[in-house]
Amino acid sequence: MKVRYSYLAQQFAECDDLWLQLKEFVKTGDFTLGAPLVEFETKFADLIGSKYAIGVNSGTDAIKLALVAAGVKAGDEVITAANTFVATVGAIAELGAIPKFVDCNDTFCMDVDLLERAITDRTRAIVPVHFTGYMTDMRKLMPIAERYSLPVVEDACQSILGEIDGRKAGTWGASGAFSLHPLKNLNVWSDGGLIVTNDHKIAEELRLLRNHGLVNRDEVKILGYNSRLDTFQAVVGNWLIPQTLDIASKRIVNAARYDAGLGAISGVKIPPRPDGFKIVYHLYMVFAKERDALLSFCQSRGIEAKVHYPVPIYRQEALEKFGSHERFPVTDRHAESVISFPCDQHLSNDEIDFVISTVAEFYSGIQ
Amino acid sequence: MTDLKIPYVNLSAQWQSEKEELLPIIESVIASGTYVGGEVVEKFETAVAAYLQSPFCVAVNSCTDALVLGLAALGVRRGDEVITPPNSFIASTAAIVHLGATPVFVDVLPSQSLDPVLVERAITGKTKVIMPVHLGGRMVDMDQICEIAKANNIAVIEDAAQSIGSTFNGIKSGTFGEVGCFSAHPLKNLNAIGDGGFVAFKSEVLANQVKTQRSHGLVDRNTVERFGYVSRLDAIQAAVLTYRLKHLEHTIEKRRGNAALYRSLLDPEFVFVPDDDPRERNSYHTFVVQVDRRDDLMAHLNSCGIGTAIHYPIPIHLQSAAKFLGHNLGSFPATEQQSKRILTLPINQFLTHDQIGDVAVAINKFFHTSLKSSDQ
Repeated sequence: MKVRYSYLAQQFAECDDLWLQLKEFVKTGDFTLGAPLVEFETKFADLIGSKYAIGVNSGTDAIKLALVAAGVKAGDEVITAANTFVATVGAIAELGAIPKFVDCNDTFCMDVDLLERAITDRTRAIVPVHFTGYMTDMRKLMPIAERYSLPVVEDACQSILGEIDGRKAGTWGASGAFSLHPLKNLNVWSDGGLIVTNDHKIAEELRLLRNHGLVNRDEVKILGYNSRLDTFQAVVGNWLIPQTLDIASKRIVNAARYDAGLGAISGVKIPPRPDGFKIVYHLYMVFAKERDALLSFCQSRGIEAKVHYPVPIYRQEALEKFGSHERFPVTDRHAESVISFPCDQHLSNDEIDFVISTVAEFYSGIQ
Repeated sequence: MTDLKIPYVNLSAQWQSEKEELLPIIESVIASGTYVGGEVVEKFETAVAAYLQSPFCVAVNSCTDALVLGLAALGVRRGDEVITPPNSFIASTAAIVHLGATPVFVDVLPSQSLDPVLVERAITGKTKVIMPVHLGGRMVDMDQICEIAKANNIAVIEDAAQSIGSTFNGIKSGTFGEVGCFSAHPLKNLNAIGDGGFVAFKSEVLANQVKTQRSHGLVDRNTVERFGYVSRLDAIQAAVLTYRLKHLEHTIEKRRGNAALYRSLLDPEFVFVPDDDPRERNSYHTFVVQVDRRDDLMAHLNSCGIGTAIHYPIPIHLQSAAKFLGHNLGSFPATEQQSKRILTLPINQFLTHDQIGDVAVAINKFFHTSLKSSDQ
């Protein structure tokens, strides 16, 4: 059996109705900031439960523009998690700001107990990363941010519809950044992203920032960027958005099956599943002994397992210019022990069981 | 899209003429499941490099991003100066500011093109790059710009957003300087069905650098040497552009034909149309005339069902976003004067000769009639 990682061919195997809508759309020529984009932004804001959603070109740009709107400038410090994907830090660095890291815990998100000691006079914003579909413990984070009057931009790129106590990812901070990249839980046919916020002023500024700062065709109020979600992709988004809740549910069901099966294997440790958390499993990740050998073994059996990520962002060469020698032991331990298995909505129970039995076989072999 | 009899743009007509061929192409990209990067994008990069006769082309998400990535590849950073005209679209200047560099504006000639004499005067010890803008498809005098750049050991980045297929001495715009930046926005001569752009390079080193920088700075799936951006051309857009590239010369020829027809019809006593330089082939992304009573004429044409536009009514140095640069009214007189007189006439490749004739007649009539009424 082969267990593939990307499910895109299955996801779009039957999309004749979408195809018809696209054919109608291209006739209109309404390609930039068009009507279907406005519709998608409205639906997305409703889905997340925020007042405004602003479509941009990528999750990275969503973080970047949200940080600009939060007032982050060159030389400012921005606090984020030490184990995130490069884009979070790239967005901070693009603005000339300085990333400051906080180690994660075994939920793959920032250990909020370590946050306060990272705050300095130069801290201008906090970017918690809701990594893999978990959420940072926002119940603890928000009071700290409020005490220091620091705006919070949630990196919710991997956690669409994730929740703590019924409150969704992206709605806790001043704004929340989402990705629509083809491999995300709500995915379009290209790069794409969205920012949600309840603040009218932030929403207005973001609309300017994504479109050259243009108030109208001829007047430029602030220097902005070109970062628009293609309207063509918004048509795809409108087609997909009714399925989003089901996609999250299916991933949660798949994860439960994995948890039960893999949890019984001695070489595997399932991360904590805290009360009140709705984890949406953009990635299904566990801790594994002899991880590299397990990875090769799975791959040799046709299972496309992966590692997110073998080299932590804070140890990448690109970070050297910031001259920090701080080490983050939990992040380091994760880099050596985590493994990701396919968990998407198109995966069959047979495939999940095959992964579980393959992992069991691996560990029985090394005992 | 519009109820005007003679619309300024006509993307619906373009789609109708292409859909039989283009739909299966788009469908095949969707079926492939590769939406970001991949062979389709590489194929476009190769095709457009061949068209431009440029050694290397890198596809990105917009021309704005092309300028940012291009300037960054040339080493532009905080404190550097970049020379550019104030009569461009805002993105030319924004790209410079985003890198922390200082835009140094230089005024333009009657043709709206960057004035090389003033460029030379604006050079200081801090000048890192000259950014000529081939506005509307009209070429800046690249003989002079390249000579000045060479003499002063300064790099050239061409803002060729509006000038794909324009040539100077037979050489394509965007291939004179170290870097050439192009837009594939839906309103451009080579247009995607969403945002898009690409960068032409002479140097493989710079091209490879931008290939890394456009995708988070990732050298491979897990390694980042230098922080980058997310600025990739979508695979769907690359497929559309590869298809449309084959028709680009036809599009340009139609537009040039329309321009020639306008020139032969418009009354030069009232309508100033700058001559093309004998060394250039203008691709006519826009056809811009300069007239007195521009706003009245624009309103009149609109009432006749003729769509026009102004590129651009507010010079960059007078935008509130540019206040911090400290310029004011009078800083760049040629640009300011032109901003009150320029009007862009419809010139898209779907217009018939009759329609061009109708526009020209309406303009001539507007001036002749008002002349008569002022005689009385």
